This record gives sequence, structure tokens and C-alpha cells, in this order.
Amino acid sequence: MRKLFVVLGLLVVASMVLAACGASAATPQTIVQTVIVEGTPQVQIVEVTPEPAAEAKPAVLRVNVGTYPDVIDPQKSSYVIEIATLKQIYQGLTELNAKLETVPGAAESWKFNDDATQLVFTLKKGLKYSDGSVLNAKRFEFAFLRNIDPTTGGEYASITDEILNAPEWRAADTSAADYSREEWVKKVGVKASHADGTDCVDYEDVACDTLTLTFSKPAPYFATIAGLWVGYPAKEENIEEGGDLWWNSSKYQIGNGAFILKTVEPFVRQYFVPNPNFAGPGIPTYDLEYSYITDSAVAFEAYKNNEFDVIASVAEDLDAINADPDLTAQHIQYAGSCTIVIKFGIGGEYNGQPSPFQDKKVREAFAYAFDAESWVVDVDGSLSLPTWTWIPPGYPGYDGDYTPYKFDPEKAKAALAASSYGGPEGINALGLKLTFGDTPRNRTRSEWLVANYKKNLGVDIALDPVDTTTFTALTKDPKTFPVLARQGWCADYPDPQNWLSVYWKSDTTFAQRMGYKNEEFDRLVAEADVTVDPAKRMELYKQAQRILLDDAPSAFGYNTINHYLVKPWVKGIQTTPQDAVFPGDMVPWTITIDTSMIP
Amino acid sequence: MTTYIIRRILWLIPVILVVGFVTFVLMRNTPGGPWDLDAERRQVDESTRKSLESFYGLDKPLWRQFTAYMIGDFNNKGDFVCGLPCGNFGPSYRQRGVPVQAILFRPPEDKPWYYSRFGYSLRLGILALGIAIFVGIPIGTIAALKQNTWIDYLSLFVATAGISVPNFVIAIFLIIIFASGLKWVSVVPRSWDTLDVWVLPAIVLGFGTLAFTARLMRTSMLDVLRMDYIRTARAKGLSERVVVVVHMIKNALIPVITILGPALAGLVTGSFIIETMFAFPGMGRAYVQAISQRDYSMIMGTTIIYAILVALANLSVDFIYVLVDPRIRLEE
Repeated sequence: MRKLFVVLGLLVVASMVLAACGASAATPQTIVQTVIVEGTPQVQIVEVTPEPAAEAKPAVLRVNVGTYPDVIDPQKSSYVIEIATLKQIYQGLTELNAKLETVPGAAESWKFNDDATQLVFTLKKGLKYSDGSVLNAKRFEFAFLRNIDPTTGGEYASITDEILNAPEWRAADTSAADYSREEWVKKVGVKASHADGTDCVDYEDVACDTLTLTFSKPAPYFATIAGLWVGYPAKEENIEEGGDLWWNSSKYQIGNGAFILKTVEPFVRQYFVPNPNFAGPGIPTYDLEYSYITDSAVAFEAYKNNEFDVIASVAEDLDAINADPDLTAQHIQYAGSCTIVIKFGIGGEYNGQPSPFQDKKVREAFAYAFDAESWVVDVDGSLSLPTWTWIPPGYPGYDGDYTPYKFDPEKAKAALAASSYGGPEGINALGLKLTFGDTPRNRTRSEWLVANYKKNLGVDIALDPVDTTTFTALTKDPKTFPVLARQGWCADYPDPQNWLSVYWKSDTTFAQRMGYKNEEFDRLVAEADVTVDPAKRMELYKQAQRILLDDAPSAFGYNTINHYLVKPWVKGIQTTPQDAVFPGDMVPWTITIDTSMIP
Repeated sequence: MTTYIIRRILWLIPVILVVGFVTFVLMRNTPGGPWDLDAERRQVDESTRKSLESFYGLDKPLWRQFTAYMIGDFNNKGDFVCGLPCGNFGPSYRQRGVPVQAILFRPPEDKPWYYSRFGYSLRLGILALGIAIFVGIPIGTIAALKQNTWIDYLSLFVATAGISVPNFVIAIFLIIIFASGLKWVSVVPRSWDTLDVWVLPAIVLGFGTLAFTARLMRTSMLDVLRMDYIRTARAKGLSERVVVVVHMIKNALIPVITILGPALAGLVTGSFIIETMFAFPGMGRAYVQAISQRDYSMIMGTTIIYAILVALANLSVDFIYVLVDPRIRLEE
């Protein structure tokens, strides 16, 4: 028995030692000093333990990101938090400024041909990676080719499908006997060269400064896409040498962005330092630390305890924030990048009958009946903005003046009465369901929605909670697409093409799944997508969006807002709707940390 | 003894097969897949989906996917890839091909093994168990010796609270008191290299087991108190200290010891919420994330590892039982 206790005791002690190993303490140092003894200099060797110096506050921006990224690989990542990490480490050919305009990144300039079927980038002179190695156009060629290569299997690979032969290569059978990567590389419209058009030699070729992208159709918006993370120039040799976990290592994540990834502790933190070789508008003057606390209550405690400088605020914290003047002053809110709608399953059948939302009057009724302003206050605690249009404010193409279905319960009831169902009784006979991913927040939202439609339209809707991933799966199949669901879209890049053509055009998967089709809308966006003249292009998108709104394929509900708690010593933030994990993360070099204010 | 050990270890094979099969069936019958996540972003297009499914073998019949995992299969290049028997838990779908065994058992660069996810969870589990034992046993003992006094009632309250209050509630309370209030520790550990940051998660994780241990010890002590041999020991004139320590506690510990193995397995495998709340880089957090992400290999691998841990813990209890109770033999 005694032995057993000894073993157990040893286990506990061992665990403590293991847990604690690595802790450092001030160690004695041997120094040589010269002293004057009775006027005569003498050399003495003494052992001293250095006193800790008065602690200077380091300039570190400590951000809670939340969930740890699954993969931090430019050509494989797809999630906001993954992209938020990548964009600190890398810089694309172009980038977005604080006004969401496409401006030079690693490229000094770019030029389309007359019909926008070819785009030529010229790189800035003397580009370098953070380790001092040469960054030339061949690196960007590798990035785009790797994104298209079907063996990469990037979840956002289709975003560069305008490139000549890109979709064909992606669909190629790589196990076929006649498959040849080299042949596809020759065929695909990505080519690095010298300025005179001659071939580049290798990655060390400093004169290799031109990247030419050739498209299968005009793509006047592609300069913006070219700056996205899928075009970030991760080093080919690092990817090969680092193996399956290259992206989780500061050794191999060598980039050209504003920061250098210095240390990685998976699931705990990532630490970044400024990159002196960054070719952007400015080099940050502070270090950046990402932490990964997923529990918002814990993150809020840590923020109050001055362990974070920035956290995303959540609805559950609002009462505490509003009750504290300091926290209220630190709470910043501004327009975000998503529009959330109450989506109608238009196509297919519902309970063996055609979907009720095939009747436009029913769609109108449900659009009129959604009280967006009350939603924002009651459900989101003002952490969202009501909207009656699709493209959110701050984005090119925003058209806040045209709102055909603003909340009006009388018009809603009239529209339902004029529908083929004759009123709420006809709809109630169908037994409508609102399907949602079952989280506490979504349950609150869904209960509110059901009550809203009962109050304003008199219809009964049953709650249909499912697992969150199941919900996404249901929305991916036209046969299982819910008849009523809350869903939305967040911008990949700020262009109306990304909002209208990618989402609502009838040949896209999103429109097909919900069964939406409008030929006039299709015609207008198809024309806009290939129109080179910016003014004419925007006008076409404007007309298309108005047709979309008139059609009421959804109740256009609300825009997300970015909402953060930010410590007062974080200065110079320039926010954009595209910010992902901290305010101003699109242009982090404008931020400064006033260390004198840190307690 | 040897035959018994071999037989028990061989029993692990059908256990793993059954656990694997049940997990596989449940997992694959749940709607959604590893690429069905964010509904508000661009979705994986069909050609990429097909390419990914081909790469991971998800385009093969379900029975073949199962056997490929549990035994092995030929990949697209025609090479045989050995499965579970070779310690291959398959590639993670969300972490894009990284082997599950690497995610769970490979430490970060230049760090020893106990910095792996498994190592972190094991260390936290052992520490929590240590707290449960070295606090729970004395509480149970004293409560029994002071039966029906305020000490007994207090221990009963602690034990009931430990069992009934969810550990995430205890966690946030302790964080508010010790981190935000007293500032003895930080809310967000900057590093897991010092002991202080382990204390709160270990206490929270071990609290339930501590409460159970205290209750069990108290009950067991009360049983032993009424035994003839205790009366005999006192009649022989032994000091009360010797009676309590040598005769009472030693015998009362037998049922407590039998729960230690499963308790350790439970603590190592049951720390999902604690790991999430304290941003602890262990296995439990990865497991929860894998389930919501439909990361099939990761779910299968972690479930099977947990099953093996529980089975081995139960086996170890059998041996400990023999050591502490001479009446028991590991024979038919």
C-alpha cells in the first residue's frame, strides 16, 4: 500500500515538474570589475545576480482571435481566421486600402488589355521576403498555379476560374495515365516573365518582374481577386521541405507581409514581429500576438484584466459594457462585410406541393413582414444594422436609396391575401418550418422570427433545429434546401460581381440550391461582368440589384457590424468592413501602441 | 497471470472494432461533411469536392472506407497504406492531410513528447487526479471520523457541489476570483511552462472526481469503522492513530483505488470543456472541434484512443486490486 502511495505521489510530482519545466529564473553571473582600493585600481572577479530592470512596457497588440485555424496555407485556407493570419504574413499583388479601393501591393502597377481578357502586373523593384531572399514574379506564378492545381484541393480554388483553362485543369483526372501537370501549366493562363517577355530563370532571377494572367472571358475586376490570399507567394521549397505541417511552423512560413510569424504554439498563440522588408505603405511599430480563447466569457474577463488589447464583443457582454463608462468608451462598432437574409426556398417541393415561395406575392408578404429594425434591437442588441438591400454599406454597389420592401405589416397582409393562398390560413395549412443550426443564439433568433411572422402576418411557423453542420449540408442540396432559413453572404472582395454574379446568377450554386432564377437579372450581371468601363459596369450592377430586390427572393434582413472592445492605448486604427479579427487589420501599419498608457 | 493479461489485451481488438464500427456508422449517418461548414462563404465547388473526396478515399464504398481505416487499403497510386494496425489513424480532413497521430502525439518543434496534445491532456489528467486523491481522501476520512458534525456536513456540501455543479460554472467562478479578483494567476496563460497556470484547470477538472472520492472514502470508512477487526485492534490497546491509519484507512481505500484507473482515463479523456475554457492545447479541444467539423479520421482516431485508454485503465485496476486485496487473484 505504501508503495502505491509512493507511486501516486511520484506521478503527481512528476506531472508538476513536467508542467513546470521550462520556467526560468534569474541566474547568477560571473563578472570582472575594476575597483579602486586606496587609490589603486584592482581587478576583482565577483558573482552577482542581476536585479530585474525596471520593466519597460513592450508595444504588443494582444488580440483574441477565438478558434485556432485549421490550416494556414495560402492556397488551402478558406476561413476568416485563417485568412486573418495569412494577410499579416503575406502581401498579394494588390491590396485594399482603408476605403476598400484596390491599390498596389507587391505589384507596382497593372494593366488590362482592351477587352480585359489579359492582365499584366509589374512588380515593385527590389522585393524581398522577410528572410531577405528575392521575391520575384515566378513566386506569384507558383502561387496561382498551385491554387489551380487539382492536387492542392484548395477550398477557394474556384475563385480564380476566370484564368484561361483553370476550371478545366481543376476538373482534370489526376490519376489518369495521360495526365501531365507540365502540360496543364503550359496551357493555363499564368505566366511570369521579364519585362521584355523573355522567360524567367528561377526564383533568384531579380529581373523576373512581370506576371501575365490571361482569362477565358473579360474579367475587369480581377486585379482585386489577384490580391486575395490564394495568390500569396508561399515558398515552394518550404512547402516541400516542411511536409504536411509546413504551415504551422515559423521556420517555413516565410512571407512578404507586414509581420513575420515568430513563434507558433498551436491552439495557444501566434506571435508576430514587424517585417523590416515589407514593401507596403508602412512598417508596423509593434508586435502582434494572436490568442485562441473560444469561450467569450473567459475572453471578456481577460480583457478586463488587461490581458488582451482587443477582443470581439458579444451580445452576452453588452449589459456589462453598457453599465461601465470605460468599457462603453472602448466599445467600437462599424459596418461589417455580411448581409444576412431570411431566405425562401423557392425551387422544389414542400410537403409534396410546390414551394409557397414560388408565388411572388408570398415572397412580398414575408419580405414586408420582417421587422428588421426591431430585430436589430431585440435580437442582436444593436450589434447589427437593419437593411432592405443586398450589397452592404461601404461596398461598391451599395444602393441604400432603393428599398422596395421596407417593413410594413399592412402591405404584408395585403400581399398574402392577394396571393394564391388567400391569406395566412392557406399558408398555415402547409405547416411551414424555419430550419436553423441549433445554437443558443440561433434558437433565440429563430424564436423571434417565428413570433415576428405570427404577429405581423398571422402565419404559424414551426421551429426546426438541426446540428449546425447539418444545416449547411441541407442548404447545399436543392432537394433539401429549407423552405425558410436565415442565411447570408460575406464579401470575398469588394466588387458587386462578388455580391450579385457569384450569389444570385441562376447558374451559380447558391441560386440553384434555393431555386432562384430571373432572366433579366442574369442578362444584366453577365453584361456587367465583362464591361470594362467602370461607370457603365456599376450602372448595370445597379439595375441588376434593383431587379433582384423587386423579386424578393429573400427578406433582406440586416448587415453584420464589426464590434470590438479596444484598449485606449491602441491608437491610429483605420477600420474597414473587411476587418476580420481586429479593427484595422487590413491596414495594420497605421496602428500604434501608446505604451505610456498601459497600466 | 500472464494468460490473463494476454487474454485481456486480445479482448482489446474486438473492443476497438466495435467502437470503431459504431463511431463510423454514427458519424457517416450524420448529415454534412468536412467541407460543409460556413454557409455564409463561398462553398467548395464540385470539381474540388471530387478531387478532395478522391484524395481522401471518400468516393469509395462505405464498407471499403471502414476497412481502409481499420486495416488498410491501396491508395490512388496503387501503394498499400496500412491502417490502424500500423498506428495510422488516417489523415485529418480539416487539417488537410496531416496524420491524426501527428496531431495528437507529435510535439511542437524542439519540444519533448509531453508537449504533444496527448502529453498535455495526460499531464492535466494526472495533476487533476493527484488533487482529487490528496484532497478527496483526507476529506472523506475526516468526515467519517467526525460523522454528523459540522465537518461532516461541510464535506458533504463540498462533495455534493462538486458532483452537481457543472465544471464550466466552477471554472468561470474560479477565473473571476483568482484571476480577475485576486490576480494570483492570469486569465489567459502566456505559457504552460509554469505550474501556476495549471492549478485552476486541474482543480476544476479534478473537482468532480475529488467530490466522488471524498464521498466514497467516507462511506467506505464508515463501513470499516464497524468491523470486528477494528474493535479487536482497539481491544489490543493500539493507539487511535495506528488504528485509523493502519487498519481503517488501508482497508477503506480498496474501493477508492478501484476507481482510480477509470478516473484517470475519465480525466484525461473528459476535459473537453476545461480545455476549451482555458485554451488548453490538449486532445479534448481537438476532439470537440473535429466533431463539429465532421473531420472523420480525427473523430475515429480520437474515439479509438479514448477507448484504448479506458480499457487499459480498467485492466490496470485489476492489477491494483490484486496488490491491495490479497483475497483476489487474477485467475479463472
